[in-house]
Amino acid sequence: MLGNTFYNSIVKRNSVYVSTIFLGAFTFGVGFDVAVSSFWDRWNQGKQWKDIRDKYVQDADS
Amino acid sequence: MASFQAVKKSINLAPTVRTLPSGIPCAPRLNLSARAPAEGHDHGHSATGPRSDKPSRFTGTTRNSSLGLVSKTFVAPLPTTHFQPRLLHTSAVVKDTPEVPDFSPYRAQSDSTNRALSYVMIGSMGVLSASVAKSAITGFLESMAASADVLALAKTEVELANIPEGKNVIIKWRGKPVFIRHRTADEVAEARSVNWKKLRDPQSDEDRTKRPEWMIMLGVCTHLGCVPIGESGDFGGWFCPCHGSHYDISGRTRKGPAPLNLEIPPYDFNDAEGKLIVG
Repeated sequence: MLGNTFYNSIVKRNSVYVSTIFLGAFTFGVGFDVAVSSFWDRWNQGKQWKDIRDKYVQDADS
Repeated sequence: MASFQAVKKSINLAPTVRTLPSGIPCAPRLNLSARAPAEGHDHGHSATGPRSDKPSRFTGTTRNSSLGLVSKTFVAPLPTTHFQPRLLHTSAVVKDTPEVPDFSPYRAQSDSTNRALSYVMIGSMGVLSASVAKSAITGFLESMAASADVLALAKTEVELANIPEGKNVIIKWRGKPVFIRHRTADEVAEARSVNWKKLRDPQSDEDRTKRPEWMIMLGVCTHLGCVPIGESGDFGGWFCPCHGSHYDISGRTRKGPAPLNLEIPPYDFNDAEGKLIVG
């Protein structure tokens, strides 16, 4: 059963539980940043420097 | 027996006593407190006198009509008890225990699922608060870190080809002078021949240089922070005019009050462009 599996594998030892929480916080932070950045880029598409750089810079060492 | 019970129920009598909406009990043709006809009889009072418990006239009247004895009561008597059992009634049976609502749709389906859900909620709260704490701390640390304009000034580049052999160059790096000396082979040999283990701040020339011909060090006297003068002093290196500290060609303190050798900044060589990068 899902609830018992979750409890026995993660919650039963507090060290595992806290480590899981910290790991989850890390992955959540990374995922949140990626999600917000992609949303920002989509929302401001065509307005940012990286989108319009080709119109102004043609040098070779870019 | 069962048939007798049915018969018994079917002839249940209608109640003879009821209560008016005003609260006054109504018992038509029956009143136990009715005035007795004034006749002589023998139950506890004189032959001609009224009953001692006879109510006053303004509370009610009694008369004999063709329908029988009719008694009218004008005043409701005060209740004598709060609990009035109605032993003869046709209303619904009162249950002796209060009815408890059915809470089963609201109860947890299973204890283990309930426990797991509780811990999931607690863990999610922990994840969120840990993320918030991490971003708060990161924000503080980023505000304390050096900004981009400071970092841009943190490195200094020098063209090494412009420095001839046996010459000193002084450049400014982070507000401090840096001595760069292109040493000759004789000076390198002299710096390496010294018995450095007997010096005040023992340090070998190999430790102080990345390339033997290039001596790079901070031009700040380790005594009180003056800027020493190059190509002077008793040891052919640097001499501090403030208090007379002598440094040799490797920047090591040899004489005078200076306690330490001249400091070596972090630096690197860029061979492709022939540049020295300090910082």
